[in-house]
Order: sequence, then C-alpha cells, then structure tokens
Amino acid sequence: MNEEQDQVLVRRTLRGDKKAFEMIVRKYQRPLLNYVGRMVGERELALDFAQDVFVRAYASLRSFESQYKFSTWLFKIASNLVIDHWRKKKLPTFSLSAPLGQDGDCLTLDVPDDEPAVGQKFELAELRQRIETALEKLPGPLRELFVWRHVNELSYEEMAEIKGLPLGTIKNRVFQAKEMVRRLLQEMS
Amino acid sequence: MNCFKINDIYDYIEGSLSPEHQEELERHLSVCPRCRRAVEDRKLIAGAAFGLPPLAVPDDFTDRVMARIAPAKVKHPVWLIILASASSLLALTAMVMIASGRSALGVLSGASHSFWEYVKSAAVLTAKAATLLTLAGKTVRPLLEVAYKGLSVLTSFIHPGLQVLILILAMGLVVSLFFGMRKKFSVGD
Repeated sequence: MNEEQDQVLVRRTLRGDKKAFEMIVRKYQRPLLNYVGRMVGERELALDFAQDVFVRAYASLRSFESQYKFSTWLFKIASNLVIDHWRKKKLPTFSLSAPLGQDGDCLTLDVPDDEPAVGQKFELAELRQRIETALEKLPGPLRELFVWRHVNELSYEEMAEIKGLPLGTIKNRVFQAKEMVRRLLQEMS
Repeated sequence: MNCFKINDIYDYIEGSLSPEHQEELERHLSVCPRCRRAVEDRKLIAGAAFGLPPLAVPDDFTDRVMARIAPAKVKHPVWLIILASASSLLALTAMVMIASGRSALGVLSGASHSFWEYVKSAAVLTAKAATLLTLAGKTVRPLLEVAYKGLSVLTSFIHPGLQVLILILAMGLVVSLFFGMRKKFSVGD
C-alpha cells in the first residue's frame, strides 16, 4: 500500500478536501472489510464496523502522526473496535503478551509430531473453505493475527506496531495461530 | 538426528532463516521424512490461506461512509476571520440603512453621519413595525371572529362541496387583503 500517497491524501483531507478522504475509503474498504468480516462473523455487522472505522479515523485524523504508516493506524482503530465488541459480547480472549503455552488451549511450537499431513487431503478450494471454518473456531487474538498475515498480508513489523508488542512475540503468536489452524484441519478431516 | 522446531520450519518457509541455518535445515530435511512432510504440509496450508476469497464490498459502501462524516474543521487564518467579520458588519449596516429608507446615494453622502443617527433610524423603524402589528391585530381579530361564526352557521346547512368552494374563495380574499394592506402600510409611505 503506497504510503506516500496516503500521507498526501491525509494532508488534503485535513485541509478540508472530502474527495481525498473518499479516495482513502475506496483504497482501504476491501482490506478492512476482509479483516473485520472475519473477526465479527456477521456480514451486516462487519459492514457497520468497517464504516465506523472510517468515521472514527476521519474524526481523529488530526491525531494521526505522519511518522507511522496510515494503514497500520487504520487497522489499529479497527482492532480496538473489534476488541471492544468481543468484550461486550463476553467472548473468550487472552493477552498476546502472555507466555506461550500458559493457557491450556494454546499450542507450543516444539518439534513436528508424527501426525499425517492434512494439506494434501483436500482440493485447494475445499482446503480454503476448511481454513475459513477453522478460523471461526480460533481464539479471537490468534485469528486476528492469522487474518492480518494471510489475508491482509501485513508484515510482522506492521502487526507489532499495531499491537504495540515486540516483534518476536508477534511472530511466535502468528506461528501458533498457524499451528492451531492446522490442528483444527486435522480434526475436521 | 535432531529435528528442527516448528518456528524454524515456518521461518524456513517464509525465507527468513539465516543462510547457515537454512543450509543446516535443508541437510536435515534430506534425511528426515517427518520434517520433510511437516514442511510440505505447512507450505500447502499457507499457500491456500494466502488465497482466501475476499469478502464483497457493496457498491454504495463509500457513499454510506461519506454520508456519515461531518465536514472537516478547517483552520482559517486570523486575517480571514477579521475580514469576514468586517464584511458581515458592513452588510448589516447597509441593510439597516436601506430598510430605513435611505438611498444608496444618500448612504454615500451621509457617510459622515454619526452612529447615533443610524440607531435613531433603527428605533423609528422598530416603532413603525410595532404600530403596524397592533393595527393588524385589531383589524383582523374581529374579522376572523365574524368569519368563524358565519362559517359555523353556513356549514350547518350548506352542501360540503359548496363549503370547499367558499373556503377557497375566502382564502383568496384573505390573501388579496393581506397584499393590499401591505401595499398601503408599506415602509417609507
């Protein structure tokens, strides 16, 4: 995502050019909806949330610091909104900064086991469908990282910036999310 | 034979291992079918996850966002605020002068008049307006009372269709009266 172009559009918006913000919305509506949609599950709710993200971003655009990437700032707003939603719904969540394997449901990243491969069992389209189903069962914080990495194709550095966590912690959590998806795929096969 | 950890396998798939570490892992893979299978399986799943289908964005999404956002607060320079205030004051003064019956030439020639003169003109105008309103109230009230009583009597034995016709004619009469009165008591007469 062209960062320089974003900074220009932000400056134009701050000067009162609504057309510039419209261009920002057009640019980020798809990645944002792809993220929010997989976080909240319901399409209509996801559309409302994605709209809210842009409305909040517009309202607090003056607080955006240009040394950061605009896209990460936008995803941070979205992430906060999603976390608020999980809390209101009392959905199970945990801190990504807690040590790996502390909570019973988390996988450690030890050596590979002897379990059979699952990737080859399905055709590509079916595998993707099953990954989507597995994602729905993944704990929210891990699902978020998995979606950012594979759907939004964010770098580990960007994810670390959004979550305000060390790079190593984020990387380990992403690997853990991948392992959990793989385990869920095994259970489904 | 020491197998590699899952973290190393993911780093290897993403190409983020150091050249030495990568070489070491590849040597191990050539002799360890379990790690080879683990790498292949995770590669397949990651490949499928990177191509998850995007969620469709409605055509009117941007319009819906733009309809929700308030116009940006644009910071105006001080000189612009002063200029706008001065223009507004000038326009207001001109309106008072025109309403008090002074011609544009009179306004120009009377530029030396004191502020007190304009206040006096405004006071005279206000007094005229108050007199006009009182007179209108005294004239219209008995007329309305008579009209109401007359209508009450008429509606008891006149056909509804005829009532509508009479009502329209009466409204026309009231409107004509209003414009006639306005012309008679117009300001400056």
